[in-house]
This record gives sequence, structure tokens and C-alpha cells, in this order.
Amino acid sequence: MAGIYLHIPFCKHKCTYCDFTSFPDRMSIAEAYMACLIREIAQRGKQLERMTFDTVYFGGGTPSYVEPEYIYAAMKQIRKCFRLTEKPEITIEMNPGTVSEKKIAMYKRAGINRFSVGLQTAIDSQLEEIGRIHNVRDYLYCASLLKGENFSADVMIGLKGQTADDVCKTIELAARSGAKHISMYALTPADGTPIYTDYLNGELPDADEVADLYEAGYAKLKEFGFRRYEVSNFCLKGYESRHNLNYWKRGEYIGLGVSASSFINGQRFTNTFDPDEYMKCVISGFPPVIESETVGEKDAKFEFVMLALRTADGISSAAYQKAFGSDWKSDFAQAYEKTKEYLEEDGDSTRIREEYLYVQNSILTEYMNG
Amino acid sequence: MAQPNKFLRNFCIIAHIDHGKSTIADRIMELTGQVSKRDMEEQLLDSMDIERERGITIKLTPVRMYYTADDGNEYEFNLIDTPGHVDFTYEVSRSLAACEGALLVVDATQGIEAQTLANVYLALENDLEIIPVINKIDLASARVDEAKQEIEDIIGLDASYAPCVSAKEGTNIRDILEAVVKYVPPPKGDTEAPLRALIFDSYYDNYKGVILFVRIKDGGVQAGDKIRTFLSDRVYEVVEVGAFAPNLQPKEKLSAGEVGYIAASIKSIQDVAVGDTVTGALCPAKEPLPGYKKVQPVVFCGIYPLDGSKFVDLKEAIMKLQLNDAALIFEPDNSVALGFGFRCGFLGLLHMEIIQERIEREFNLDIITTAPSVSYLVHKTDGTQFYVDNPSHLPAPSDIEYMEEPIVKAEIYSPPEYLGPIMELCQDKRGVYVNMTYIDAHRVRLEYRLPLNEIVYDFFDELKSRTKGYASFDYEVVGYERSKLVKLDILLNGEVCDALSTIVHEDRAYQRGRTLAENLKEAIPRQLFEIPIQAAVGGKIIARETVKAVRKDVLAKCYGGDITRKKKLLEKQKEGKKRMRQVGSVEVPSEVFMEILKTNKK
Repeated sequence: MAGIYLHIPFCKHKCTYCDFTSFPDRMSIAEAYMACLIREIAQRGKQLERMTFDTVYFGGGTPSYVEPEYIYAAMKQIRKCFRLTEKPEITIEMNPGTVSEKKIAMYKRAGINRFSVGLQTAIDSQLEEIGRIHNVRDYLYCASLLKGENFSADVMIGLKGQTADDVCKTIELAARSGAKHISMYALTPADGTPIYTDYLNGELPDADEVADLYEAGYAKLKEFGFRRYEVSNFCLKGYESRHNLNYWKRGEYIGLGVSASSFINGQRFTNTFDPDEYMKCVISGFPPVIESETVGEKDAKFEFVMLALRTADGISSAAYQKAFGSDWKSDFAQAYEKTKEYLEEDGDSTRIREEYLYVQNSILTEYMNG
Repeated sequence: MAQPNKFLRNFCIIAHIDHGKSTIADRIMELTGQVSKRDMEEQLLDSMDIERERGITIKLTPVRMYYTADDGNEYEFNLIDTPGHVDFTYEVSRSLAACEGALLVVDATQGIEAQTLANVYLALENDLEIIPVINKIDLASARVDEAKQEIEDIIGLDASYAPCVSAKEGTNIRDILEAVVKYVPPPKGDTEAPLRALIFDSYYDNYKGVILFVRIKDGGVQAGDKIRTFLSDRVYEVVEVGAFAPNLQPKEKLSAGEVGYIAASIKSIQDVAVGDTVTGALCPAKEPLPGYKKVQPVVFCGIYPLDGSKFVDLKEAIMKLQLNDAALIFEPDNSVALGFGFRCGFLGLLHMEIIQERIEREFNLDIITTAPSVSYLVHKTDGTQFYVDNPSHLPAPSDIEYMEEPIVKAEIYSPPEYLGPIMELCQDKRGVYVNMTYIDAHRVRLEYRLPLNEIVYDFFDELKSRTKGYASFDYEVVGYERSKLVKLDILLNGEVCDALSTIVHEDRAYQRGRTLAENLKEAIPRQLFEIPIQAAVGGKIIARETVKAVRKDVLAKCYGGDITRKKKLLEKQKEGKKRMRQVGSVEVPSEVFMEILKTNKK
């Protein structure tokens, strides 16, 4: 199966940790941008007409910040230009500070059936500190509008001054408000973001403290019946994000809009990060791609392992066999031997033992270069 | 008796690091038209990259020049460069033996430095005529008169005629050349006596074999002559002789008084010892020239390839370096932790560092070096005795009757205000006070007997930091003394890591073990499991630290756009791992093996 990703690069305000391609001051071009996005959908659709797509994902920026009609129009164009499966999973990211009844109704009319809400933390002072435009009340209102829907809440750990108790409170709020899926991300201070200064000043929790927060959050998630199916993703039974699972299974996807990445036919490529350049390209009919690499077999095999080991299901020998026609344990015999003690077997699959899932980089590096 | 060419002047330059020796040499070469300005790579004499970067001279590089003096005569100059560092005093004495005069370059802003002084005395012992040169007169802080006064007070030289120059700006360089003509005597010797030539350096040329750098004292030599060396007693046929221009420039003949080179199809550098005398095979001289003391390595360390499969490359690299540097000795060695490598011996710590750096740079090899050690004399209970420089080769404690360690005579020169800290440091390092002399109101010479084993750790750094860099230091091994020494082992995750073992004085074992464990704790990255680090003496654990298991090492998000980035990140992590060695179950960064050097807590 394959996925479609659409990038909406607009925000009301940029959060202090945000390293994504988003432009809080460029709402004036939103209409033109969306028109171009719709055009790119058509251009790409034509090239990929033989493919069937199972998921659509509107990410950002803040997709819920632009007029919902644009989303509706984009979705309509997708259906027109791409072949979708019968019951596709269609997700939109939302900021609780930008929702309304009207918007959600429009999303539903567009066929959107999954909502990803950026809660981040249940402590208002922390929300303010990281530059979020919403507070806990906004979140509760948003959750009430999504009552009964398949929605996910994003939670952050590693914020300045955050305690294990704060994390548990946040998980509790998300679970009780009806989220079927919770993503719990450790803050990654990126160079160039305002929060990076806090990091340099040693004001953010260190790796050990983040591990503590993670453990506390994970325990709380379990308490509410959430299962960890990937390093940072937890859900009630049957509510895994199909779109994201596709990434970890090394499935194909097409990314549309600025900065969106694609993986089609062994080729990884990324669109330009500059909205003006993006629009210029699309209008003149050129692919707005700035970067492209063909993934060789060795690299492909490593990617497969790297991505699969993020998930609770781990590496499926059969899926690997199907993809590459070889046995992964022989392809990575040396690395496997060296890391065996950190892995466990379950029928066809091999996964990282639960207690090592959060320290997997040093396991993965063993698998690099064969 | 026929006199050598009276228009010949052989001289060298003595200067403290940074006082402008190389720049002066460059200016002299420029003025004599030896090298045109545009052909000059900056500071020509320092030809090794490392020398240029560190601003020091290690290898001697002679150069011949012609100069028409004010008296209307054309003079031939041979300028022989000298290294400035204490480790290379040996090389200095070699170059001095080839000269009749020395330029003593003194920085007008700083005056005479202690290290320079040691070389000045060496030059005086060799009966060299010393011409003081005051440099850097262009600087605002120059105190020319004070510098001159210092020269007169400290060395007792008449500095009134000293050329005052600015090498940087090329001011008054001609004064130097006139002074050389006037004050450096022409070489003595007998051009008709049997050949006697002193080998003061050599290097290996791929086409010509070993090139001998010689100073002809008596007689002459030309292509076709049969020559013989005194020490190794071998005979060779001379293929080519010549001068340094500064590249090798063939000449018909070299005669008494001259400095030049001899190529005689000599295959191996080991066959000709620097300091040996060359004579004629058919009509040999009766006596060799006074040579130099044979070089003895005093500092040893293990050198291993980071990548075990590069052992052969490392071997080739070390062998090639040895061709240029007879003072370097090595033998194959094998460590449980580090695999196959070499045990190498050096003249001193700087020499060791230079060799390590040259291996990495000139041969592009990544290496792991173990902490430096010295050579101990072990007396076994069965009455036998032998030298051990590798701690892992030490016999079991029960088999050792007693051990002796090398002792040095150390001379420290410093302004008097740092006497306290220096004496404290020497005390700390098990030093025994011998003597103290005031050279003048601003300089004291302190003499201590110190175990060499204490010096190879952090003595230099400590001395520099405790005296704000003012003190300088020279040492000489004077013998062995009985001492209570023990082997300090380090266990990583329960296993002894042989490459981290050291020999220390019994009284130091506890403190050093603890510091080492603490430093290792900082240096060894956290891994998937907890790693106990233990220091042990004779099986008894004396210190313990723990590297906790890593708890978070993961990229939080990995979606469509993150995959390439994540791969790059892991690749970087993998690169870091390449700098590590697997010691048992533990991954140890290669720098850690030098950690033992640091006796202070970080």
C-alpha cells in the first residue's frame, strides 16, 4: 500500500521548538499556494496513475489554520487524480487553537476520518513557554468537537521544567478526552530554533531525565490501555496510524507541497523548501524537486531493518524475503550476532526487546554497512 | 699542511622558539639570492608540515649560499639549522660540531630564554664563535639596550657590535652577513691529510640511497672514491658529492672545511650511524673524529592501527620514518586489547608526539597510542635481571625481587617568583632537590633528581601551568635507582585491559588508580549495559567507578521526510564508533589509551 502526504506550511505562530517548514507571516499567499498544491496533485496523479493509495495525510505547519474549503478542494482533487482504496485513512493535523465546529464539519465532508491534535502538554504555563497558541481549555473544546471520532493527541516530553507528574497528567487528559491514539515525542532541540538556546544553557531535561519522563508516560499509557506500537506511538487496539505504519514498512509514498518527501520506485526525493520557488515550478509544470537519491540495494536493506526495528512488530522475515529475495539474518549475520541479546523472536518477526527500544541507535549502527 | 678555503664560513642559528630563527634564515637566503622571494614557501628551512605548523625545527636542514662582502670578496656560507626543543639537544650538538660560529638570535621584546641558554653553553663548549643578533626591533615593545645588557650579563658576550635587525621587515640583514664574515673564523683542518668527515645527519632517498650530511674536517672526497665508516666498518664507493642549495646540488669535490653531502649507494640507514666518521678506504685516517654519545630512547609507547587490518601499513610507515629518524626504535608487539602493533622508543615526549602525528598525517593512518612508559630494570627472585618497558610484560609480583627505575637530572630555569610552585611540583613528583643557582636577578636555575616515570606523565604541562609558561626545562637520564614499583591494572567490565596497565610507585598507586578510574568514567561513553571500571594492584581492587547504561538513544520521530536524515545521523554515530576499540564487551574510544597520562582530575 502507498500513502499521500500534503504539506500545509502555514501557522499562526511558530512554536519555539519548531523545525518544520512553516511560515507564520505568509498567510497572504495561502490561496495561491493551495492552488498550486492542487495543480501539483494533478501533475503527480498523472505520473502515478498505475498506483493505488491507502492513506492521505495533511501535515504542516498547521493544516487546520487555512480555510477548510482549501482542504476540501485538495481532497476533491486527490480523489479525482489518484486511485484510492475503498476505505482510505485520511488524517489532518490540527492545532486546538484553530478549530471550529464548521471546520470539522467541512473536514468530514471532505472524507477526513482521522484527526491528529497537537495537545503537547496539559500544563498551560508550559504551553505558553513553548509558544503554543492554545491552552488546555482550547484542547478540551477541540476534543469535545471530535467526540466519537478517531483522533490522536500529540504529547511532548523534555520540556523546560517538566516533571513526570506533568507528563502523566497530560496522558490522562488525552486519554480521558477520548483520544484513541497518542504520540509521545521527546523534544529534539534543533539548531536555529529558539529553544536551542535553552538547550545550550542546560535548561532542558537531559537524556536521563527525558528517559524518566518517557518511562512515567509509558506506564500511564499502559494504565489507560494504550499499546506501544512504535518508539513514540501508542494506541488503543486497532487504532494504529496506517499512514505512519506505511513509512516503517518501507512502503511507497508521494509527498506534495513544499518540503514534502517522496519514496517511489526506489527513489527518494524532496520538494523545495521555498514556497515561492515551489509555486514557480508548479505553475511552469516542472517538478519542484530539489533533492533526489536512488537507494541502492544495500541501503534499502538497511532502511528496512532500521524502520522495522522502530515498531513493536519488528522485522518480518517473510516481508524482508519478499522485498529482497534473501534472508535478513544472513544479510546482517555479523550485526545480528552482535546484537542478538537485545532482540527477541516472535514467530516470523524479530524485534528489539522492550527495554531497549528507547536506546536503539547504538543497536542500529551495527547494521550499517552490512 | 694545506689550509681550507679561507672564504668559507660555516655557522648555525641558535634561538628560542618564536624568536624568529626561521625568518632570519629566510632573509639571509633571500639576500644572498639563494632563493627568490616568490619561490619561497614561507620559512623554507622548516620543511616538514609539522615543523611549519608548530613553528619549530626538528630536522637539520643545511643550506649553502654565496655572499659578496663589503671587502669585495665572495664568501661561501653554509648555514646549518638547529632544532629548538630540549628533546632535540642531541641534534643541536650534531649541527654545532659542523660549524665554527653561531648566530644567537634574541627577541628584543623578550630577552634571553632559558632553553636558548642551554644551547649557547653547548656552543661555547664546542668553541664556536657566538654572534648575538637582536631581532624584532620593529616592534614597539622592543628593548634593544636591555636585551644587549642581558646578553653581556648572562653570557658574558660583548653585545655592542650585535646586529639589530627586523627579520620580518628585512631591516639590517646585511649587518648579520658582515658579522659572519668578520667574526666567524674560517674552518681549520688539512686539505691534504687523509679524509675525515663527520656525519651529522642522514636521510634516505629513493633513488640515491642514504644521503650522508657531512662536514669534511680533513682531506677531500669525490665521486669514485672508496670510503669507509669507522663504527660500522663498511666500505662504499662514492657516487656523488655535493652541496645544499638547499636542494642537493652535485659538485666535483668536497674539501676540508666544507659542508655537503655524500651519496654512496648505501642501502640502509642502519649501516651508517650519525656521529660516525667517514674516511678513505685506501688511505684511512688513524683516528675517528670525536663522535656523539649514542642515542638511547628513554620514552616508550605502544602504537597500534585503529583498524587492525592496517598493521602492515603501519609497519611500512614506521620503517619509512625510521629512515629519516635514526633515533626512533621499534619492535612488533601484541596486546590483548589492541591486537598487533609496535612498541616504539623515543628520545622524549615531543619526539613521541611528532612521530605519532607524522604517522597519521604523512601516511594517513589512524592509530591508537598507549600511555608513555619508561624502561625499568627488573631483578627477579631467581637472580636474573632484565629491562621492561611494557607494563604487560612485567613478571608476577611474587617473581620480582625488586625493581629499579631511570632517574634524570633535571634543570629548570625560571624567574625566581615561581620557585615555590616549582619546588612543590618536583616534590609531588618524587623529586630530590640538588642545587639552586641564581643566574641573575631574574633567573634561577634549579637542579633536581627526578624519576623519569614521573616526567613522562604530565610534568611539562604542570610546570608550564604553574609558572605561567615562564619556566623551561631540560633533563638527562643519569642512571637507575631502586624503587618500590607496582603494576596498576584497569579492569573494564571485570576484564583486565592490558593496554591500560601502568607501572607506578607504590605510594602513588591508590591516588593514580582513583584518578584514572574517574577519568575513564568520563571518557568511556555510556553503552547498553553498565560498565564497572576498576583499578587494581596485584589483584586487589583499589578504586571503582561505574559508567551507567545509556537510557535514551533514539530519534523521536521517523516519518517520510526523516529517513534520509536519520540514516545520516546513524552514519555519524557509526563514524564515532570507528574511533573505538572493542575491549572485551566494552567499546573504548581510542584516545582513552592516552588518558593515563592525565594524573589530574578533569
